Amino acid sequence: MINLKHLSQKTWKNIQLFPMLNLNYLNILSRYWELILYKTYADLRAETERTYLGFLWWIFEPILYMSVFYLFFAILLNHQTDNFVPFLLIGLTAWQWLKSCLSHGAETILGNQPLMQQVYLPKIIFPIILILTDSVKFLFIFALLLVFLWLYGFPIGLPYLALPVLLFTQLLLTIALTFWLAAIIPFIPDLRFVVENLLLALFFISGIVIKAEVVPEIYQPYYYLNPIVNLIEAYRHILMYNTWPNWSTLLLISLFSLIGIGLGSRLIQRFEHIYPKIMR
Amino acid sequence: MNTAFPLLSLRNVGVYYKQKRGIFGQPFWALKDISFDLYPGETLGIIGRNGVGKSTLLRLMAGIIKPNRGHFINHHHHQASLLSLQLGFVYYLTGRENAILSGMLMGLRKKDIMAKMDDIIEFSGLHKFIDQPIATYSSGMIARLGFSVAFQVDPDILLIDEILGVGDAEFSQKSANAMREKIRSNKTIVFVSHHPALIQQLCDRVVWIEEGVSKAEGDTRKILHEYHQFLLLI
Repeated sequence: MINLKHLSQKTWKNIQLFPMLNLNYLNILSRYWELILYKTYADLRAETERTYLGFLWWIFEPILYMSVFYLFFAILLNHQTDNFVPFLLIGLTAWQWLKSCLSHGAETILGNQPLMQQVYLPKIIFPIILILTDSVKFLFIFALLLVFLWLYGFPIGLPYLALPVLLFTQLLLTIALTFWLAAIIPFIPDLRFVVENLLLALFFISGIVIKAEVVPEIYQPYYYLNPIVNLIEAYRHILMYNTWPNWSTLLLISLFSLIGIGLGSRLIQRFEHIYPKIMR
Repeated sequence: MNTAFPLLSLRNVGVYYKQKRGIFGQPFWALKDISFDLYPGETLGIIGRNGVGKSTLLRLMAGIIKPNRGHFINHHHHQASLLSLQLGFVYYLTGRENAILSGMLMGLRKKDIMAKMDDIIEFSGLHKFIDQPIATYSSGMIARLGFSVAFQVDPDILLIDEILGVGDAEFSQKSANAMREKIRSNKTIVFVSHHPALIQQLCDRVVWIEEGVSKAEGDTRKILHEYHQFLLLI
């Protein structure tokens, strides 16, 4: 057998130290984006094919979900006059987007194990596909929310221009959290049960059903440390109160999220070749 | 011994899995000490009994996992991939969509699969069914589609795990013939099997794996003879 050192030291070094310099790098990147987009399309299509009503469920399901809250708060607790219903629906819509990405995203790397045992794929694409899929569905619901708000009598104001920024900020936060969950869950699948309950707890402390004023004075500073509280308030500022959101808060959330995304994707890359070996 | 420059080189490669979850998991060495080279244009057979680590070895060569010890070198960063049937198939999608998705997962670009779609339809014999959801297919039809797509994927190094032909009698013959032709062509192929007869038919050289160790490497007839002797002894 030939001496390995003699053979290949040169190629070995170059390729290992500078993967970015690989001529194929851009080509590979565009290949994976093509795959991500097609898989997202395929997953969405498969979901609509599964039921009789197809993609109409993306609209009906949230309507059903929100009706439950409407019945409870507006009818049973008699919150009809104080704009509580739009207040609540805005919170629920924004929350559902984050929540679905997190609870589905946590499973993505673990769930795609059969696939990754057959072919090498960068594992980061699995959470990305899921976030895209759930975000497309969210856009339907969000459009529905806007229609509801207009019918309810809230005007479209200039602050609407801030909506794309706000949505993008939430997307960044969602990506960061989902990456981290997806990276860790394969090693500690027991966490899944914890995650569900953490999400429930987060739901109650994120200002979806309560107004900030009801939080006791001493807890207020801590309450506002929660990025979701700030995001949801920003939505309400724009959509209900016709005021601009707090830009510095959004910037701060974006910055922290970007750091989270950077570290999270590093983490996933680090375990790239370990995930296929984990027993399910 | 071949004097050409190898495509893949393995030296004293070991790979372990954790037997249990968490920190208490004892490592189980599926591969202990594997060394061989793969040369361009050859068909290398890998023979060994069930459970000696052949599938792990293929995963390693496909770049899915990395060695825990030893060296595995893909000298020119060639694409090595497993022939996997029905990879990523989604039940509710049509045959055409599944062909595109599966092909893309295996490394083809969308436009390449589109260009090969007629061949896929022709080979699979699905014709008008190609635009039906595969949930409506018989298992034989799904197998035909799976093979026809996988067959179009043309990596630099093709890794085959036992599969030759699939599906009903007629298609099985047809696909096995196509596969044989591909193996006999000038492609670089690693063919894993526990069937000496198939290896004898198809391979230029053979590596024999026993209990995660590469026992011998060399001329097909010679290695198969040693393997037979070994089987008689145990």
